[in-house]
Amino acid sequence: MSTRSPARLVVALGVAAVLSIFLLYTAVAGHSTPTLTPSQLGHHTGKLAVVGVVVAPVRGDSHAASGLRFGLRNIDGKSGVVRVVYHGENPPPLFKVGRNVVVSGNYQHGRLAGDNVVTKCPSKYTASKQS
Amino acid sequence: MADLGRAALVVTLGLVVYALVAGAVAAITNRRRLAASARNALFCAFGSTAVASAVLAVALVRHDFTFQYVAAHTNRTLSTPYALSAFWGGQEGSLLLWLLVLTGYGALAVALNRSLLRDLIVWVVPVIGGIATFFAFMLVAVASPFTTQTATVDGAGLTPSLQNPYMVAHPPMLYLGYVGLAIPFAFAAGAMLSGRTDERWIVATRRWTLAAWAFLGFGQLLGAHWAYVEVGWGGYYAWDPVENAALMPWLAATAFLHSVMIQERKGMLKVWNMVLVALAFELSVFGTFLTRSGVVNSIHSFSKSPIGAWFLAFVVISSLFSLALIMWRLPLLKARTKLESPLSREAAFLYNNLLLVALCLTVLWGVLFPIVTQVVKGETRTIGRPYYDFFLRSFGLPLLLLMGIGPLIAWRKTSLRTLGRTMLWPGLVALACGVLLVVAGAGSSRPGLIAYTFSAFVLATIVLELVRGTRATGSLVALVARNRRRYGGYVVHAAVVLLAIGIAGSSAYASSAESRLTPGQSVSLAGYTLTLRGVERRSVPNAIETRAVLDVKGPWSGTLSSGDNQYLHPPEPSREIGLKTNWATAEDLYVIADSANPKTQVVFVKVLVKPLVNLIWIAGIVFLLGSAIALWPDAREQRRLATRLALLRA
Repeated sequence: MSTRSPARLVVALGVAAVLSIFLLYTAVAGHSTPTLTPSQLGHHTGKLAVVGVVVAPVRGDSHAASGLRFGLRNIDGKSGVVRVVYHGENPPPLFKVGRNVVVSGNYQHGRLAGDNVVTKCPSKYTASKQS
Repeated sequence: MADLGRAALVVTLGLVVYALVAGAVAAITNRRRLAASARNALFCAFGSTAVASAVLAVALVRHDFTFQYVAAHTNRTLSTPYALSAFWGGQEGSLLLWLLVLTGYGALAVALNRSLLRDLIVWVVPVIGGIATFFAFMLVAVASPFTTQTATVDGAGLTPSLQNPYMVAHPPMLYLGYVGLAIPFAFAAGAMLSGRTDERWIVATRRWTLAAWAFLGFGQLLGAHWAYVEVGWGGYYAWDPVENAALMPWLAATAFLHSVMIQERKGMLKVWNMVLVALAFELSVFGTFLTRSGVVNSIHSFSKSPIGAWFLAFVVISSLFSLALIMWRLPLLKARTKLESPLSREAAFLYNNLLLVALCLTVLWGVLFPIVTQVVKGETRTIGRPYYDFFLRSFGLPLLLLMGIGPLIAWRKTSLRTLGRTMLWPGLVALACGVLLVVAGAGSSRPGLIAYTFSAFVLATIVLELVRGTRATGSLVALVARNRRRYGGYVVHAAVVLLAIGIAGSSAYASSAESRLTPGQSVSLAGYTLTLRGVERRSVPNAIETRAVLDVKGPWSGTLSSGDNQYLHPPEPSREIGLKTNWATAEDLYVIADSANPKTQVVFVKVLVKPLVNLIWIAGIVFLLGSAIALWPDAREQRRLATRLALLRA
């Protein structure tokens, strides 16, 4: 019985290598967004996402022209507060002060113009001490 | 009580360490009585883990708040089913469930195969013992569910949106899937360690793999439906790392289930199968690492904990162990036959495998991308839905097509002319379907149109196969009973087609509209007109409900209400959607009411019309049916199996 396993393995590895390069290229070249904490924002500007904990005051309405206004701080608390003005659909119901969120939008002049807010989904039972 | 639980876990740890060490010594030195002793230790480990599990279950039902775990995950208002569901709600309970299922599965798999596969089982026992040792150690030393405290008056409770029947079933389904993948992995490792790398380990674990795969697949659909009806964002899958953690091992297991057929029939792809079974198992443990370590941002609120590092270490060690075994046994894993033609059923299976693994690795790359960019560029970057959607289309559509071609193509080799003749009728059906869809105006989405056309092709293939088979046997029931694996597989293929149609319909052809409404004002979409009647607020036990009430006119006329509930204990809000399903068209009218204000009577309404979305949930039922057919005991297959095993042993 003859075998061609090594040849097939090489072909498979070749396909995998080409695929990896393609993935690497597409991922680095586009479709990726910087996801930063408030303390990492520094000199960044433009389209990005900020992960942080919501800090008071939370004012306004996301449907109004002035938007929903709130602050974000590092989840570990070790950062200044980034001001966010969010326009769009109401944020998810679990959005509130103290909740961990990811806000996507455009960051300019120290302010994030948010267009999407994601709060942590309670896909597991969350003890009150964690919320 | 807690002492009994702790003691039972310590006993389990001792027993599985014994199964690992004594089992390995017995296998190396060929001592049968020691091997039997190691095997019995594994059986007893299931018993002691069951005792520990019973202790936790009783504590949850009795609201025994001297257990930290019970106080952190339940409260007195929870009904018994939801209090019990907290068993798998927290980290420590989840680990205990892992261990319970692992020792249970392991004991059963070893007991059922100990006489048929004696030379292989002696190595399976220490492998399962090794995996169980990790989980038992975690429960004894790192994350015990039996830590006690001074009893509190009440517990922290359960997030309201999790008090849902789907959430009672979804997590244990996933665990049954994750842990189930350990059994084929253990048998594969046992086969390599014992040098018995023939097809016996595959035949012995086929049903275990199938069951684990079915649990994992159905569990994901349950989670998707929960997200759709309970979370209220209008979608069902967000490509979140935690969701992907369940998808990846399922994709690897799907590839494995297909490629083992080639090894069984042709003796090919032995190395590939070992890689796939190891990949599926490692990805299932990696999923736990992802959800527990907090290394990637997820919309799921799993707490960060130190167990992530332990899981990473386990994944690294077990992956190296698997790789080393495969490299060591490469000479024994040579194929018995060769691929004769790129136009053959074997080749179609191979293409299917490459696409499934490519999709799996693409998802893995998306999950790991933030970590990679953090390491390489010093900045976390995430990849969103466009990336995943692109690759789902790129790999998913060819996979769909292959699902139709595979059953039609002959083993060994075929010619293009023969293949063309076989595909004539399904091809014509697909073409007619495509033309009809374009005429009906469904050409607006090219991927959607392709998905529908390919789906028609696959369904036509399945019908053709069933008609041909029924003609030959005289009865559809007799046909299915004669080869449950094959025809169960076709039913699962039909489920995948329904899934594809549902996903394409609800994403490519969905429409939405948003509007600020006051009473009497309307929003229109896809033939529906929704007019706000008013905003109401009322108190119910444990919640204040606010609802926007909308009168609907159009293909369906009636009333829908949507808004939010503000729960009092625990003080959490939840969004409540308005949903009307048209089962004749499988379409949903889905309403999300935001900021409903009973004082000003103003509400922001988002309306979605999602064509064919309900086919996704129907696909889940069809998927279960197909899996059950394929899993059902088959006396004929058992006889064939016994003959084959006898030949292999000889």
